[in-house]
Amino acid sequence: MSDLVIETRALRKVFGSRGRRIAAVDGLDLEVPAGGVHGFLGPNGSGKTTTIRLLLGLARPTSGEMRLFGLKVPHQLPQVMDRIGAVVEEPRFTPSFSGRKNLTLLARSIGVPRSSVDSVLQQVGLEDRGRESYAAYSLGMRQRLAIAATLLRSPDLLILDEPTNGLDPAGIRDIRDMIRGLGESGVTVLLSSHILAEVQQACHAVSIIGDGKLLAGGRVDEMLGESESRTRVGCTDPRAARRVLESSGHTVTADGDVLLVEGHEHPEEITRLLAEHQVYVTEMTAVRPTLESFFLKLTGHPMQGAAADAETEREEES
Amino acid sequence: MRLLGVELSRYRSRQAIVLLVLLGVAMAVVLAGVTAWDTRPLTDRDRTEAAAQADLESQRPALRREVQACERDPLSYLGPDASAAECADALVPSAESYYPRQALDLGSVLNDYGVHLAVVLLGLLLVAASTFVGADWASGSMVNQVLFEPRRVRLWMAKAGAVGLSSAAVALVVLGGFWLALWLVARARGIDVPDRDAQQVLWHLLRATVLAAAGAIGAMALTMAFRHTVATLALLFVIAVGGEIAVNLLPVDGAGRWSVGNNVFGWLDPRHRYFDASIDCAPGERCRLIETMTHLEAGLYLGVLLAVTVVVSVLWFRRRDV
Repeated sequence: MSDLVIETRALRKVFGSRGRRIAAVDGLDLEVPAGGVHGFLGPNGSGKTTTIRLLLGLARPTSGEMRLFGLKVPHQLPQVMDRIGAVVEEPRFTPSFSGRKNLTLLARSIGVPRSSVDSVLQQVGLEDRGRESYAAYSLGMRQRLAIAATLLRSPDLLILDEPTNGLDPAGIRDIRDMIRGLGESGVTVLLSSHILAEVQQACHAVSIIGDGKLLAGGRVDEMLGESESRTRVGCTDPRAARRVLESSGHTVTADGDVLLVEGHEHPEEITRLLAEHQVYVTEMTAVRPTLESFFLKLTGHPMQGAAADAETEREEES
Repeated sequence: MRLLGVELSRYRSRQAIVLLVLLGVAMAVVLAGVTAWDTRPLTDRDRTEAAAQADLESQRPALRREVQACERDPLSYLGPDASAAECADALVPSAESYYPRQALDLGSVLNDYGVHLAVVLLGLLLVAASTFVGADWASGSMVNQVLFEPRRVRLWMAKAGAVGLSSAAVALVVLGGFWLALWLVARARGIDVPDRDAQQVLWHLLRATVLAAAGAIGAMALTMAFRHTVATLALLFVIAVGGEIAVNLLPVDGAGRWSVGNNVFGWLDPRHRYFDASIDCAPGERCRLIETMTHLEAGLYLGVLLAVTVVVSVLWFRRRDV
């Protein structure tokens, strides 16, 4: 039996009528192994949500094959659905019911005791707000409630589509910690997001898609390891410094008054070389590769909405 | 059964549905009250005034001449075997003719308010059924429900079961309460309800309950297909109004048989007679323009409509993206 939790082969979904047909998913081959947090990345409109909807039986594929826990879906979906929790797009509940009432109805529909509702509300920090009307919830509270709903089943696979949308920084951190914790506890989490920094912090592996196709996939550390790191160097005489470093075999690019030197393994060599030529270092920072830079290298264009986050992330790591 | 229980909870928890049911209850209470008031026992004053009116009428010269003419030739006035002694009784109005109101008669109430109350309640239950699933689509919670129960036909059936059972229960309680209240009023006034009337009321109650359940399931099925309450209600309105116009304009004799309204009343009425405007009757020709709709005919028509709607709705819900 395959140890892949999610597997798609040549998956294709075409929308539209005869006149105008758009392939939202176009021959996607996706593999998500059991355990850990797996990022599912791609710019807006790349086919992430459509893929998730296909996997969960909310939409029918035009062609291709999908398996969850080794079983063909959508035909055998009812046999595996008890092992899956999912949030697709924005949270969707009955607005006139309280958060607790919404969860209680869902829990009853799958035979889960009501006591579990209290437990999952507590897990997402909504234990004191459960009796309030869902219509009065903030977007962040709605996201938490949606995640609580996924936990009702104690799932083996959790599929989360942009779960931190609308959350404040503290909320994002809480959800991220929870996702990490679930991944460490043996639950396989498929985390779909266009915020690369979020994925980089939470995931151990990623699949990157664009235009409905798989562009790259694998462990995050391996992917980033393939990207070269750099050292950011500020000094008293950038021109002279560049000459010195290039003559000693370093690849250097100028970024205003600072230099970017490929590699960051031996900063002491850079300081020594420059000092020997009476150029003195005023700033030195290791610039580690990010998923954003990897994505940029892969596709040649930045991911919408991700650049700012990635930039922030890079500075944090520096 | 678990899903059915969940859907029943969901149905009775919707505020809009509770309001619609309360509206139905209020209408039944008001109609029962109005009927009880309009048939209240006569006072002595009512009887005295009626007797005085009758006496005054009997003194009218024209009437007295009429009675005398009848007594001279009773056969031409009252038909074969008539005698002159019967003329005064037949032609002079009695005091009862001037009573300001009739005594409570459940048979008459059934043909009047009773059937119309059932039709209005049916309309409210159709709206309730439509808004029940329409709200699921509008809020997007249908996606969550499908995620928790991917067997869509089961989900559809559970919703239909909840809508059907709830609507039947509401119809039975509201209409049953209406008739029980009037029966108790009749008992309190010492009026005997004939067995025939009681049976007609009971059969009507049963048919109204079945129609409420079936109609609500039909409205739910339409909304599951359209995914929009307003679209369903608009279609029902077009059928109710436009359909009647179309049926009457159709150049086909007997098209009134296919009017939804005629069939609904044909199912609810103890004996529904309707004027068929579609029958083309040439001047001087003897035509039967008043038709009778049997319960079987109406039941078959409505049953086929419901079956087609349900099949289309289930297949569509099963196949389409959510």
